[in-house]
Amino acid sequence: MSDDEHQFESKADAGASKTFPQQAGTIRKGAHLVIKGRPCKVVEVSTSKTGKHGHAKCHFVAIDIFTGKKLEDIVPSSHNCDVPEVVRTDYQLIDISNDGFVSLLTDNGQTKDDLRLPTDDAILTQLKDGFAEGKDLVVTVMSAMGEEQIAALKDIGGKN
Amino acid sequence: MGLEQGGWQQHSMNNDMERLAGAMQAVEQACAALQEPSTRAAAETTLLAFRKSSQPIAACQYILEHSHMATARFQAAATMQEAAIREWPLLTADERSNLRSYCLHYVMARADAAEAYVQMKVLSVAAVLLKRGWLESVATEKEAFFAEVRQAVLGAHGPAAQRSGIALLEALVSEFAPSTASAMGLPAEVHEHCRASLELDYLHLFYLWAQEAAVTSAERALQGVGGAMDINVCASALRLMSQLLNWEFQGTNWVRSANGTVVMGKSKINAFTSAIGRDANSTKRSVDHASLVQPGPGWHDVLLEANRVNWILDLYAHIRQRQVGGSSWMDSPLAVSARQLIVQLCSLNGNIFSSDGGTTQELHLQRLMTGVTSWLDPPEAVVGALIAGSSSESELLDGCRALVAIASVNSPSAFDQLLKPVSRSVGTLSLLAFLTREVIKAREQNGKEEDTWAVEALDILLDTWTVLLQPADFSKRIPFPSSGVEAAASVFQAYVDIEVRAAAASANDEDDDAEQLRASIAARDEHLSAVALVARAAPMSTVPFLAVLISERCSWLHQCTGGRNDPTTVLEELHWLLLMSGHVLADCGDGETPLVPESISALNVSAAEAANHPAVLLSRSVIELARQSLDVALRAEFFSPRLMEAIVWFFGRWVDTYLMPADAGRGPNSTPSSNEGDQQQISGIAGPQLHPLVMAFGEEGGGKAALDVLVRVAVAALTAWPGERTLQELAGFQLLPSLVRRRNICVHLVTLEPWQELAQAFAYQQPPLIRLASPIQRALSEALCRSAAGMGSGDATNQYVRDLLGPITNSLATLSKHDDLQVFAQQPDVIVQVSCLIERLRGAARATLPRSQKAIFDVGSAVMEPLLVLVQTYKHQSSVIYLVLKYVVDWVDGQVAFLEAKDTAILFSFCVRLLEIYSAHNIGKVSVSASVNLLNESQTEKYKDLRALLQLLTNLSSKDLIDFACDVNGEVENPDVAQVVYLGLHIITPLMSVDLLKYPKLCRQYFTLLAHMLEVYPEKVAKLSPEGFARITSTLDFGMRHQDVEVVSMSLTTLNAIAFYHYQAICRGQEGLGVHALSIQNSHGVVKEGVLDHFLRSVMQFLLFDDYSNELVEPAADALLPLVLCNTALYQRLALELLKGQHNALLQSRLATAFHVLLNANQVTSSLDRQNRRRFRENLYAFLSDVRGFLRTR
Repeated sequence: MSDDEHQFESKADAGASKTFPQQAGTIRKGAHLVIKGRPCKVVEVSTSKTGKHGHAKCHFVAIDIFTGKKLEDIVPSSHNCDVPEVVRTDYQLIDISNDGFVSLLTDNGQTKDDLRLPTDDAILTQLKDGFAEGKDLVVTVMSAMGEEQIAALKDIGGKN
Repeated sequence: MGLEQGGWQQHSMNNDMERLAGAMQAVEQACAALQEPSTRAAAETTLLAFRKSSQPIAACQYILEHSHMATARFQAAATMQEAAIREWPLLTADERSNLRSYCLHYVMARADAAEAYVQMKVLSVAAVLLKRGWLESVATEKEAFFAEVRQAVLGAHGPAAQRSGIALLEALVSEFAPSTASAMGLPAEVHEHCRASLELDYLHLFYLWAQEAAVTSAERALQGVGGAMDINVCASALRLMSQLLNWEFQGTNWVRSANGTVVMGKSKINAFTSAIGRDANSTKRSVDHASLVQPGPGWHDVLLEANRVNWILDLYAHIRQRQVGGSSWMDSPLAVSARQLIVQLCSLNGNIFSSDGGTTQELHLQRLMTGVTSWLDPPEAVVGALIAGSSSESELLDGCRALVAIASVNSPSAFDQLLKPVSRSVGTLSLLAFLTREVIKAREQNGKEEDTWAVEALDILLDTWTVLLQPADFSKRIPFPSSGVEAAASVFQAYVDIEVRAAAASANDEDDDAEQLRASIAARDEHLSAVALVARAAPMSTVPFLAVLISERCSWLHQCTGGRNDPTTVLEELHWLLLMSGHVLADCGDGETPLVPESISALNVSAAEAANHPAVLLSRSVIELARQSLDVALRAEFFSPRLMEAIVWFFGRWVDTYLMPADAGRGPNSTPSSNEGDQQQISGIAGPQLHPLVMAFGEEGGGKAALDVLVRVAVAALTAWPGERTLQELAGFQLLPSLVRRRNICVHLVTLEPWQELAQAFAYQQPPLIRLASPIQRALSEALCRSAAGMGSGDATNQYVRDLLGPITNSLATLSKHDDLQVFAQQPDVIVQVSCLIERLRGAARATLPRSQKAIFDVGSAVMEPLLVLVQTYKHQSSVIYLVLKYVVDWVDGQVAFLEAKDTAILFSFCVRLLEIYSAHNIGKVSVSASVNLLNESQTEKYKDLRALLQLLTNLSSKDLIDFACDVNGEVENPDVAQVVYLGLHIITPLMSVDLLKYPKLCRQYFTLLAHMLEVYPEKVAKLSPEGFARITSTLDFGMRHQDVEVVSMSLTTLNAIAFYHYQAICRGQEGLGVHALSIQNSHGVVKEGVLDHFLRSVMQFLLFDDYSNELVEPAADALLPLVLCNTALYQRLALELLKGQHNALLQSRLATAFHVLLNANQVTSSLDRQNRRRFRENLYAFLSDVRGFLRTR
């Protein structure tokens, strides 16, 4: 056995839209999973068998991480499922435009202006109020399979 | 109120009538409106206002007499009860007794009325009134009342009144029984007095009256003179009798004083718990089908006299013979109550039987047995009739209940003899066996339906067997009679035959999801262990029987090769047989080493026959089956995941008991892991000659060969059925741990080829092991590291662990230095691998042994830097963060007790950095989510993180308590412990909320930590900001009112710690808690009490008025003393308030004395040394048992 085998291999370029195979039997509650082409978070896994002496299959109940819709899937537990790459990135908030978009500062000093304000009322008011008060706000953007959404907010003013 | 009363008397007669009629109309209207949803709210208000109105009794009586509406009469009765209790002090003695007899006469006069519930309510009003005045009324008054009741019960006023009389007694009994008493604003002492008085003076009288009433009415009914009413009376009399036997007899707690009144015995227990529904638990026996009836010796004549017992048996025989009550007579109230009474008589126990060597009891039970037998014998006919549907199951079930009751008060042989005098050749055990077999057969015919009578009957019968075979009191254990052994064997065979058939029939069913649920598995196991007890009573026949069945099926499997036959039914039969065999051969250890069941190890097998010892035969047949699963071709053809699960489960249980058994002389309680340095285990369970079981599976015998097979089986179970999670979990969490549990097995394990191969594949992260789900990785790692205990020396052990884990540390280090870590690390497959590696580390940390601690510390410190990098990188991957936290928790737990100052410093500074990074990313963050579901998920993640953090802090701060490190430098202060604690509190208090504290586990952990921290580092806590401190005190408030005794106790410990610290600091002239202890007047002029004052108040309140368990008095005493010392003035003010609130002069002086004694008796001083605190505790006990009785009201 070569020594490399137990090292992490750097796979070819990992685009944000990529998915990875993983055995269904090892996917647990809380993990991510692609169902019907959508990135989801698993909220329930149950197993059953095809006949008493048959093989196990996994029944997943999962929630679309962008739309919140519930999806379900049944997969033989020794088969592979697609697991999406879900990335969260922190950006500093620099502006909120009138047409419902935010302007964010990226790590390399450029701006990112293609994200909509979140629809959630609580965070929306917090975002707007905080910005109006001149707080230092960091937003966390979640991206998977080519989609993006604001997922969290933090006031870093004074504490860092 | 006074004014109104004045006005009341001025009313003319006419006005009065009008007013009453008006009230009646209002109540009637409200009752009608109550039916309409739209008017309900208004109606409720009207009725509540009526209930609360002043002096409504006259109106109530008017309504009771005049209203045609039953619901209105009911409301009137309810109002009357409430008002009478509320206005009791305003009533004159005459009014009170008039009201009582009013109720009685009202019911007697209308005994035939249709709406029975109204009459019942009025009777319960009478009962409440009687109890309210019980201690005030003189003996003659009671006598007169009861004379009247007795007349009614005995039938002087006809059967309808007779029934009402019985109903009144029922109401009385339930009112006087503490668990069903209604609230009447009286001290607990009064309730106790009433109970005692009724128990001593009246209950047996009631029983006699009821029986007399039953006798006469039954006579009339059976002679055909009386009507349906007589049957009715008889049934309710019998019901009253069994209600009386259900009374929770207190017996010796009560004594009669010189002047004939009953006084309460000094009993601490009753002073602290209010009896509402709590005592029930303590008196219940584990066997729920047989709760014992234990009235005292005073009941001897009432219950045991032959004529009385025979009468009830004859009565039931009559009912049975003539089928009184028509075709469904078995379920008629009369038959049901009669049977219930008979079952209760069967469970009589205790000192009611005089000490005549058990003769009275034997005769009594023989008498009953004769009667009960006729319900069950012949079992064939009884069960046959039930299957045919031509009779009801209730008689059979009651018969079974009688059997379990009799069995629980008898030894097996005495139980067997009970039938002998009744001119039968067979013993009771044979009858029980016969009946059990018939019920087992009937259960098959009932099919798969649950909750049928056969299932229930079998449950009760298995309980009977359990009670006989495994009495709760082990000292009374005696050999099972030989006739019983045969009987047990026949029952077990019948059971196995039928279950194997059922398994075959269900083999092709679709998988039943419900079977996977933990609850149903637990229920199945419980059932099988009950059956296994029966099997163990006759091991000579039952164990070989199972072995034959298994071998038979193994050979059938071979006939199926090449697809000639479908093996599914055989597989399912084997599955069931494996489960059954596992239960018969071994007990579930739950962490202890279970011994071989006594009856199996005691089997007398000659040395020549040793290989044919039943248990050896059965174990061999299963090992042989397991060995076949290693053959790849056979595996593919026959070994379904489900069969494999059963095999793995079987060995997980079997290994603890049979494989290389440790010396029996060590006793069953020694923990296997403590056998450090004990190289030589003396083999031999029974004497110098080797026991057949030791020869077969001991270290010297075939143990090593068996171990080799089992290791291969375990590895196969993990790898050969990819994706079969249940199987892998059984292998990882049951079989592997049992293999490494004992050191003498580990010694062999580490030399075995398959184990070494497994270790190698693990260390080099080879597939398929690396693909296992992460919890299985943890289990595997834990087992491998634990097996290091089998290495010869400490150095070898450490080297073994380093070899296992070294490659993992390298992988993590390499990853943390990856060029493009931020992007690379987010790939799902990398996340999965990282999770697996961290879980492996955690498994290893959990397997920390004193001998391998050094290696695991080195591994841990090698991954510290990489882990911190990963925590930073995965700040958004909560699952990874959680795994890291859990790993650190276990690592610290394993290490902290052994570390020397230098290493401790390394560990603590690592933890501080980890906590800092964690808090930097998690405090003040608001997450949004597209759905409530996802939001809940992330809340749960937070909750789990928090628990892990609490555990970590608890483990860290335990360094001060347990320290095994041999520090030569003496008192070197652990450098960072205070900083860790302070930082920990800083992180945790903002995250802690009352909502989160509702999670029981979290709550316990939090208070454990808090109690510990405040005890050890009060000075750190005193330095917290006012907000931080306020958060802690508000959680303490919550903790004091918690239901969990442990939480309350820890809150009190915490209070003790704060107050103790403050008081001592003050004594030394320091500021102690400083600002926190001061009362603050805020800008609005509202005074906010200082913490200690606040808690003094609430601890006093708690001690005097709340319900709590006895064991809390001690921690409460420890908290109270320093609190009182901190502010004696406030304490005296509180005492004064309580004294003023007490209007009864006698009680007031009693209270004053008690308060004085509390702080002055027993030489209690104002110091906080241990001796003084102990004295104060004693004082508090005395104080509370004296005072709580009258301070608490109900």
